Amino acid sequence: MPLPKIVTRAAGLAGGAGGKALQQLQHLRLPGFGQSSVTDDPRTAARRWRAVSVLTDPEQLRTAIPVPLAAFGDRLDVRVTPAPGDRGAELAARFRGPVTEDEIGDLRAALRESKALVEVGEVLRVDPQPHGHRKATPQGAAIEGMAERAPREGVL
Amino acid sequence: MRAATWTGVNEVSVETVPDPTLLNDHDIIVKVRKTTSCGSDLHLLGGYIPFMRAGDVLGHEFMGDVVEVGRAVRERKVGDRVVVNSFIACGTCWYCKQELYSLCDNGNPNPGITEGLWGQSPGGCFGYSHALGGFAGSHAEYIRVPYGDVGAFVVPEEVSDLRALFASDAVSTGWMGAELAGTKPGDTVAVWGAGGVGQMAARAAMLLGAERVLVIDRLPERLAQVREHVGAEVIDYSTTDVMAELRELTGGRGPDVCIEAVGMEAHSPGVHGTYDQVKQQLRLQTDRPSAVREAIMACRKGGSLFVLGVFAAAVDKFPIGAMMNKGLTVRGAQVHGQRFTPRILEHMARGELTTEHLATHVMPLEQAPRGYQMFKDKEDGCVRAVFEP
Repeated sequence: MPLPKIVTRAAGLAGGAGGKALQQLQHLRLPGFGQSSVTDDPRTAARRWRAVSVLTDPEQLRTAIPVPLAAFGDRLDVRVTPAPGDRGAELAARFRGPVTEDEIGDLRAALRESKALVEVGEVLRVDPQPHGHRKATPQGAAIEGMAERAPREGVL
Repeated sequence: MRAATWTGVNEVSVETVPDPTLLNDHDIIVKVRKTTSCGSDLHLLGGYIPFMRAGDVLGHEFMGDVVEVGRAVRERKVGDRVVVNSFIACGTCWYCKQELYSLCDNGNPNPGITEGLWGQSPGGCFGYSHALGGFAGSHAEYIRVPYGDVGAFVVPEEVSDLRALFASDAVSTGWMGAELAGTKPGDTVAVWGAGGVGQMAARAAMLLGAERVLVIDRLPERLAQVREHVGAEVIDYSTTDVMAELRELTGGRGPDVCIEAVGMEAHSPGVHGTYDQVKQQLRLQTDRPSAVREAIMACRKGGSLFVLGVFAAAVDKFPIGAMMNKGLTVRGAQVHGQRFTPRILEHMARGELTTEHLATHVMPLEQAPRGYQMFKDKEDGCVRAVFEP
């Protein structure tokens, strides 16, 4: 196989690996590195409430569930409670049944987007960004995989 | 447009890249007049923050002219000459309302990376890796600025471009360290690092009423700048024992406020320096924290330390016993620039804060690779390489 093809193949694998690595990082508890709320078994993780604090009147959220969460339909339980100390509202959601890791990622992204829509009025975009020549390297592809996965990972 | 990009470890190129466009209603587009290298860029260049993709546009400290505004922008308008804060903040979340702008909840579209590393995600930053949002940087002819009403400040007529430029990051970071460390009249303040941020932390401490300000470094041209342009005293750590000097100069107490403006690639002489270099190169620690260690040991009992230097993850031999038993207050942050910029521009307009001397090398953007090499090697007394697109 010609070298450019090998590099492209390796980069493709690394892209997937980057996303996977970020996913795995969420499960690590190395001293001084990493933190996650997703260390439970899949069934418990699926049932855990995932929450964001939104600087708004809780009533506003109760009367109109933000679109990204509403899109899940009856698959979610959604809870809105006042946050202490003038921090607005705590918007929490969890699945009603077993789900996959990817679906939990979808919920994380939806919670963050809901918060941004209420607080700012829009969701911050980053692409397309100006950039120079992207060399097809495994490390570069891994970074792209991580960045692509990043909105759906984290401690939520 | 032309832009300076990161193309690999210690490699910078100038390439033709697409122009930025408005992506959000709160965006503005700025035509860059001046953009500067920053010490924290060296961590990216050196591969110590491994979230850069080849082709990423560098730069986070800049000023220029507004040339386009989004539909929801109310205060900024086309033609405004603005300085833009390096961190991206929405202005409406709880953190922004507390004026902790670099902690904005809505500024980083890639929160999964930093939450995985640090447990929570700070806001985004221009040109500072995909961990901080993947935003294109300012070493370019044009830059998209999200939340333009929040992060871009009109520069008063009497403030020059070269002075305003450093309000973007160096001055606001330095000011934050001096103020949030609790500097008050009568205090003795010690600052580790005489780069742009360290010098501005020292100047801010003086403007906040500190009785005595001491800046620690080893580079003669930077120490000379501190004496001449900042008006603070200096300690050359290559020729004297810093701890002994500080005890002697403070009646045995130690400084009331310590400000660390060095970061993860701290240079230190002797065994300590070698120890940290070896551990970092073997990936047994990510950062070299010698200035932080020294500041904790030097600080007076009950004093405070503010860590301004950028750190990535974990260090070894952190003197937690000294910190706890001496009752120190230790804080750190990326810059909450939006909080301090209006005051800084007022001080600049009155001539109380001057920064032009930091721009030791002003050059066309096309020479950015050479500028970064000079900046990294401290060649020809380079304190900051400033680029003009």
